[in-house]
Amino acid sequence: MTTDTAQFDYSEAGFPIAERIRECHLRDWERLRGPGAWWTGAERVAIARQTRLAEDCALCRERAAALSPAAVAGEHEADALLPRAAVEAIHKLVTDKSRLSEAWYEGVVGAAGMSEERYIELLGVLVHVFAVDELHRALDLPLEPLPTPLGGTPSGYRPAGAAKDVSWPPILLPEHADPGDLDIYEEMRGRRPANVVSALSLVPDNVRWLNDQFAAHYLSWTEMGEIDKQHRRLTRPQLELLATRVSALNECFY
Amino acid sequence: MQGTTDDSVDVGVPFADVLMAYADAAVRRDGDLAERRAAVESALGAEAVVDAAATVANYQRMVRIADGCGIPLDEVTEQASAEWRESLGVNEYYSALNTYGEEVAAPA
Repeated sequence: MTTDTAQFDYSEAGFPIAERIRECHLRDWERLRGPGAWWTGAERVAIARQTRLAEDCALCRERAAALSPAAVAGEHEADALLPRAAVEAIHKLVTDKSRLSEAWYEGVVGAAGMSEERYIELLGVLVHVFAVDELHRALDLPLEPLPTPLGGTPSGYRPAGAAKDVSWPPILLPEHADPGDLDIYEEMRGRRPANVVSALSLVPDNVRWLNDQFAAHYLSWTEMGEIDKQHRRLTRPQLELLATRVSALNECFY
Repeated sequence: MQGTTDDSVDVGVPFADVLMAYADAAVRRDGDLAERRAAVESALGAEAVVDAAATVANYQRMVRIADGCGIPLDEVTEQASAEWRESLGVNEYYSALNTYGEEVAAPA
């Protein structure tokens, strides 16, 4: 089921969900349903749909529990709108991300219908939809229906200054960015952006999406630097404790 | 810091136990989520529950970006966290390979 008019109606959520979060989620759904740089709106919504399917995927559960995921044979059901490698990557990123490797990444971006740019945009769509859904699940709220895709053609935009650096995919660093992309690092104020931010920059709109949702769900990059100010009901140490715990539960070294 | 991976250690943050229990239930999808959410609400209020849920959601996203792109630790973090990473066992995580390469043994 999809919807032309996302609601994110939290009036009966039972919790006082801040308006900044609701407004961000409405923007999330508008971003999701339009064409990106490398995927159409319909394909982006299909990525979101697969992200949700992975949550309840029996094959993924079996693989995640196995000593080696390769020991469990099988393939996910094909999606008419997505390359097979995209479907496999989505399921892996949702359910077994702590065992990813550069060899796995190279296999995905080299597969039919995929590329580095398509992988990074896919990851951007996946993580932002997943974060919206995770907030709903954590509060026992029903998931918002996915939006009806918009028409239009992907722009095919790849920043000319993007190059291989510290992460598997090429990234765009501020010193190599065209003026039109400098906004993605605006809040970094001349500092090298954190690797987790630049990681998505092969598709600059991914970073714009990340900056927006990070500020709504957590703190803006500027607020992150204001260690002594309290911006939320929870104190900064309490927020950091939760962040660290989630990272540890996911065995995320970063 | 030790308390974020070892529940027997007091982390020195008010209501750390209820917050970590809630994060555990949300990430692990276990059946205690409602009970643990109620504990956060009882201890810290409804607005804090939303903060906690949004923070969990935020970092569920960030770990997938980090692991999905194979990023190493930022240099400043790598230096600042060197002492406690070893004691927490964090250096044993598979994704430590992205920072230290083959120096860290991969799981079987």
